[in-house]
Amino acid sequence: MKDFVESVLRGIGTGSVYALLGLGFVIIYKATRVISFAQPAFMLAGAVLVTYLVGPLGFFLGLAAAAVLTGGLALGVERLAVRPMIGRPVFTVAIITLGIDIAVRVVVNAAIGLDVRQVGDPWGLKVWKLPGGVQVEQRHVAMVLTTAVLIALLFVFFRYTRTGLAMRAASYDQEAALAQGVSVGAVFALSWALAGALAAVAGTFAAVGGSVSESLWLIALTALPVIILGGLDSLPGAVIGGLAVGTVQELTATYQGSLPWLGGNISVVTPYVVMFLVLLVRPYGLFGTREVERV
Amino acid sequence: MKRLGMFALAAVLTAGALAGCRGADSTDKGASGAKSDVGITKEPCPKSEHKDRGCIYLGIISDLTVGPFHVLAVPITDAQKAFWKRVNAQGGIGGYDIDAETYVRDNKYNPQTHNEAYQEMKGKVLALAQSLGSPTTAAILPDMKTNNIIAAPAAWTSAYAFEDNILESGANYCIESMNAVDYANETFKPKTVMAVHLAGDYGDDAAAGAKIAAEKLGMTFINVKTDSGTDKQAGAVGAIVQQKPDLVILTTGPADAAAIVGGAAQRGFTGKFIGTSPSWNQGLLATAAAPALKALYLQSSPWKSWASDTPGHKAMREALGSSVTPNDGYTSGWVWSYPLLAALKKAQADGDLTRAGLLKAAKSLTKVDYEGMLPDGAGNYAGGADGIFRQSLIYNPTVGAGGPNDIKLEKDYFTGSVAKDYKLDKPCYEKL
Repeated sequence: MKDFVESVLRGIGTGSVYALLGLGFVIIYKATRVISFAQPAFMLAGAVLVTYLVGPLGFFLGLAAAAVLTGGLALGVERLAVRPMIGRPVFTVAIITLGIDIAVRVVVNAAIGLDVRQVGDPWGLKVWKLPGGVQVEQRHVAMVLTTAVLIALLFVFFRYTRTGLAMRAASYDQEAALAQGVSVGAVFALSWALAGALAAVAGTFAAVGGSVSESLWLIALTALPVIILGGLDSLPGAVIGGLAVGTVQELTATYQGSLPWLGGNISVVTPYVVMFLVLLVRPYGLFGTREVERV
Repeated sequence: MKRLGMFALAAVLTAGALAGCRGADSTDKGASGAKSDVGITKEPCPKSEHKDRGCIYLGIISDLTVGPFHVLAVPITDAQKAFWKRVNAQGGIGGYDIDAETYVRDNKYNPQTHNEAYQEMKGKVLALAQSLGSPTTAAILPDMKTNNIIAAPAAWTSAYAFEDNILESGANYCIESMNAVDYANETFKPKTVMAVHLAGDYGDDAAAGAKIAAEKLGMTFINVKTDSGTDKQAGAVGAIVQQKPDLVILTTGPADAAAIVGGAAQRGFTGKFIGTSPSWNQGLLATAAAPALKALYLQSSPWKSWASDTPGHKAMREALGSSVTPNDGYTSGWVWSYPLLAALKKAQADGDLTRAGLLKAAKSLTKVDYEGMLPDGAGNYAGGADGIFRQSLIYNPTVGAGGPNDIKLEKDYFTGSVAKDYKLDKPCYEKL
């Protein structure tokens, strides 16, 4: 039972990082109908920025600054490379984001240098002991709390601000939003900036207790099954999908030893298995919008 | 007039074909009088200060930007450029300078990209000063064999013991892990050995070596495959914590190694880890896993570390200068270059610097002078799989040995009892 509870707690911690990553993908998708494959690069860039800023600014200020800078980087990339492609097939734009991902990672890898780097977080691998001997890692609690705060801020932003309303309007119908005076171009830019900032926070928390190396970006790939099972255009779907994938992955990792016939490290496959099972029942994901097409 | 035109056209085509075809059938005699064919010019190298020398072009295909071994590959490549510059400064080879800078290409650790780079340069280089990665090199090996091209690898897979065209150095992953288990058997007598490893002939080769040694020494062996990515180590940590082996042979990347060692220690694991050399990075000592690494981690190594006191190490540090951050990627790049140098010298002495001549010279080497970086007896390519080098070392990389950038040597070059008697009849990873 102790193993089970600890696995669930670890899973929720890891899952909250997946949720942040998923939110970035979904925000861009809702605004532009494009899956941005540049998110892994922004995630890595944000974490690397924190490793440089943690010295002069400390962890929390460094994280905030890195989120702003990465958001600015994403905004700049959108203006330079994606904006000129408006009106082109979304597939073309998605491929361009793949190129952006590689280009940004090349630059960021050079900034990593030869040694792995540290984000300098205050939690490390420290644990709190709960009743029953259950251990919970402090970093996982920090991940969950940070994700909860950011989700609350996003909720307030989308629900109660004019810009948030404009973004929601543009995501429903760009032409109608334009007709009502919404700057769809600004919505696109803001969505990229928001997604970049979220990726930076996610990347930093993915490296909390560990290190930043050039392979950190691989974690972002897990966000793809997360957003597909949650629903590509659903913010709650990204959160629930992230937490579900994190929990299932950790539980499988804990108990996979009793199922050796499944092969080695089967837990890394579970996000895709969960996604597949969900899509069998709900082809648009748990919370995705069913598309109705006139034929 | 029409017939004259036909003759002229035929003459032009024939001359063009002869001029363009600098293949294996077309040999030349260069400054040294040695035969040559591809990748050697009478003109000096583009950046050479020695305008009276010809040029031998060597290619480098490495993981220079976004691939998983980029952190190791960049210093490997820089060290090799410095190595060949030093060769040039010492007089070159038979009236030729060596150029290892014109044909340097990034493979992104992708076999397809690797092959594209190889196809682009194969008509212009004599040999490859570096072909990084096992799956990437496998993509070009058949063509290398067809065209008699040899290469220094940047990998330690045991499969290279069976390839004449690859000039591997040091103990392969399989032998290194056998020796690691043997060392553990001598020092802390483990009863259970677990190999936690990435898939492929890096991790599988080391795990196979651990398995062979564990079985030979009467230990229980547990095989745990893992994947690259710090968020994917929960399964490995769970296996370690649940099965409590006395020794874990670790074959991953550095960030993954920290996640595994730190995660297992946090959950109460107190056994030992011995990682193969690519699993370690000095930057790990600044991570939250540092206390666990200091308590539990040792590292096996195919050769001595950066700060060692040998003529080769000194030459390497001098050639690279004081501005570089010490890193054993440099050491590896430097060591891997010696066999190709020995082969070039032998081919030149034999009067045959053609690709076939170079391959023949490489296959005839019974030893290579590594300037003390590897002990006598290393570099026996004439011996084939029976001639593989079987010595490795054990370091404690978490403890400084006193000198600048030095780490503590736990056991100097040794051959364990299992590795000593092991008959390498096929790549080890096929036995996992």
